[in-house]
Amino acid sequence: MMQPRQRRDWTPLLVLPALVYLVVVYAAPLLGLLTKSVSDPMGWSFAPFYAFFADDYSWRVMLNTIAIAGSVTLVCLVVGYPVAFALAWARGWVQIALLVAIILPLSIGVVVKAFAWQIVLRRDGVVSQVLVGLGLWSEPKRLLFTEAGLIVGAANVFLPFMILPIYSVVKLIDPRLAEAGATLGASPVYRFRRIVLPLTLPGVVSGIAFVFSLSVSMFVIPSLLIGDRFQTLATLTGRSFLLMRDERLGSTTAVVLLAIAVTIVVASTWLSRRLGGHT
Amino acid sequence: MTDPSTFLEVAAARKAFGPVVVLGGVDLAMPQGEFVSLLGPSGCGKTTLLRIIAGLLAPDTGTVRLDGADLTPMPPHKRDVGVVFQNYALFPHLTVAENVAFGLAARGRPKQGTAETVRRFLELIHMSEFADRSVRLLSGGQQQRVAVARALAVQPKLLLLDEPFSALDRKLRETMQIELKRLLRELATTAVFVTHDQDEALVMSDRIAVMNSGRIEQIADPVTVYRRPATEFVLGFVGLSSRMPGTIVDRDGGRAVIETGHGRIAAHTDQEPGASVVIAVRPERLRIGPAPNSNAITVRFRDLSFQGSKALLHFDSDGNSQILAEMADASTDAIKPGTETILSWAVDDTLVYPRGGVAA
Repeated sequence: MMQPRQRRDWTPLLVLPALVYLVVVYAAPLLGLLTKSVSDPMGWSFAPFYAFFADDYSWRVMLNTIAIAGSVTLVCLVVGYPVAFALAWARGWVQIALLVAIILPLSIGVVVKAFAWQIVLRRDGVVSQVLVGLGLWSEPKRLLFTEAGLIVGAANVFLPFMILPIYSVVKLIDPRLAEAGATLGASPVYRFRRIVLPLTLPGVVSGIAFVFSLSVSMFVIPSLLIGDRFQTLATLTGRSFLLMRDERLGSTTAVVLLAIAVTIVVASTWLSRRLGGHT
Repeated sequence: MTDPSTFLEVAAARKAFGPVVVLGGVDLAMPQGEFVSLLGPSGCGKTTLLRIIAGLLAPDTGTVRLDGADLTPMPPHKRDVGVVFQNYALFPHLTVAENVAFGLAARGRPKQGTAETVRRFLELIHMSEFADRSVRLLSGGQQQRVAVARALAVQPKLLLLDEPFSALDRKLRETMQIELKRLLRELATTAVFVTHDQDEALVMSDRIAVMNSGRIEQIADPVTVYRRPATEFVLGFVGLSSRMPGTIVDRDGGRAVIETGHGRIAAHTDQEPGASVVIAVRPERLRIGPAPNSNAITVRFRDLSFQGSKALLHFDSDGNSQILAEMADASTDAIKPGTETILSWAVDDTLVYPRGGVAA
């Protein structure tokens, strides 16, 4: 008997256009950047990295970056998790309205939003007035150019990236599972902890990965909401290239930032697979 | 003190979704240990009734009592009523053993006793070697067994099953029916079983409640439901029959004479003369040839569907009715298509229903 010839599977070729595009406009320049960070006129050198990690200021910037990105992610998670359920369980017009409310703001430029937040967070802004009005603050305060203001503003911009992945997972959870839990004697809290929460974790993990990697590398929002007083890896990279003309420092901070972002993405993918996600 | 015949008692349960009345005031009472099937076509309200008993749906009016307690205001997790869902609803992130242990853990039972119970139930369903496997990797029949074990492991007062076999192929379904019946008898479980499959209901049940458009048309043991269907709907839904329209022309005590397109037919009924009726007879009650003290009609043989041990014979008659007779296979060889034959059946086997109405 002749073995029938295996048909060639051409499916992988479908990624070719994207691959060519990314190699030309992204991977090649990135490689240039990486090379620049470890080369000096004499040859290869890791001296810029030694110098960077030996400097206390660098550590403060890294800590700033991770603390802000972590806080933004946490705010997005706390605010976005229940919204994802509301969106998944809503029907008809309510669902459409919710989706529009979540997705439409993405079409407004970050700069516009950041300027809007500048108005909101001013000393005589809405937040300050409300908090004073409620008696929570004794006098008007300025939130603009503070870390809290940055976190609030950035969370606003990145919230959809937390809601949508969680929503897509919640939508797939069979409502019979919670019912089955109930008929087995599980209270609503127990059902949430042991059935719903574990099943949403893959969505939570990808939401965290999205928001964290976006907010760890944000540049425009901190520039407008907090200014030069407070540096993150991204703003420092920008300053190095644009103001200080220090390409060595710029490429070094860029590489560190890249390393953090890649770690987050890889770790979260691994985590969501381990949690039995739908990836 | 509770009446043993009303371990479960549903009274006047009514449910409407908008203008659609899904359940129109249903009563159901059953003693402990009984297996009752809710049988009916899709949309008859059987699943709605099941969900009301489980507490997954609140009735508009009516009450559900179990073992003397009023369940109506109770949320499902306090009712002690287990459910096996149609799609099984196994927890996909847990293993077989974790699924079976879920209810015990949710009730805060000690770990050691739980492990022991889980082991016993996995043995009962012959799934011990799959204990640590993810439920996503199981076949349909295995999932079904895990769903039953999960519901039974907490030893609920009442077990509800919502078409648990509908996703299985026929061979497996029959095996699982026997297995489930044995398991429930072993554990003396009181169970309500929802199905649209009459064979399944006839095989499994102590009693069958036949439902139609939100009402129970008849509740009785399988033999009575088959032999003495209370309404024309039950007659049509459970088993085959030949039906002929007619009018009652005379009555003498319980025995009436009915004028049909096939001539006069005698039957036991309390319908008054002048009433429009439908008479019916089950196919296996028909005999070829005349018999004393029996009803008889003349028919023309059309064709035959061979079914292995038996055969179904189709006849045409002058009365424009299709007549269906069931015979042992060997006795059908002599009949040729087109031949005129006399079919007869006992007066006792003649079922009478008011035309477009309720009970006989």
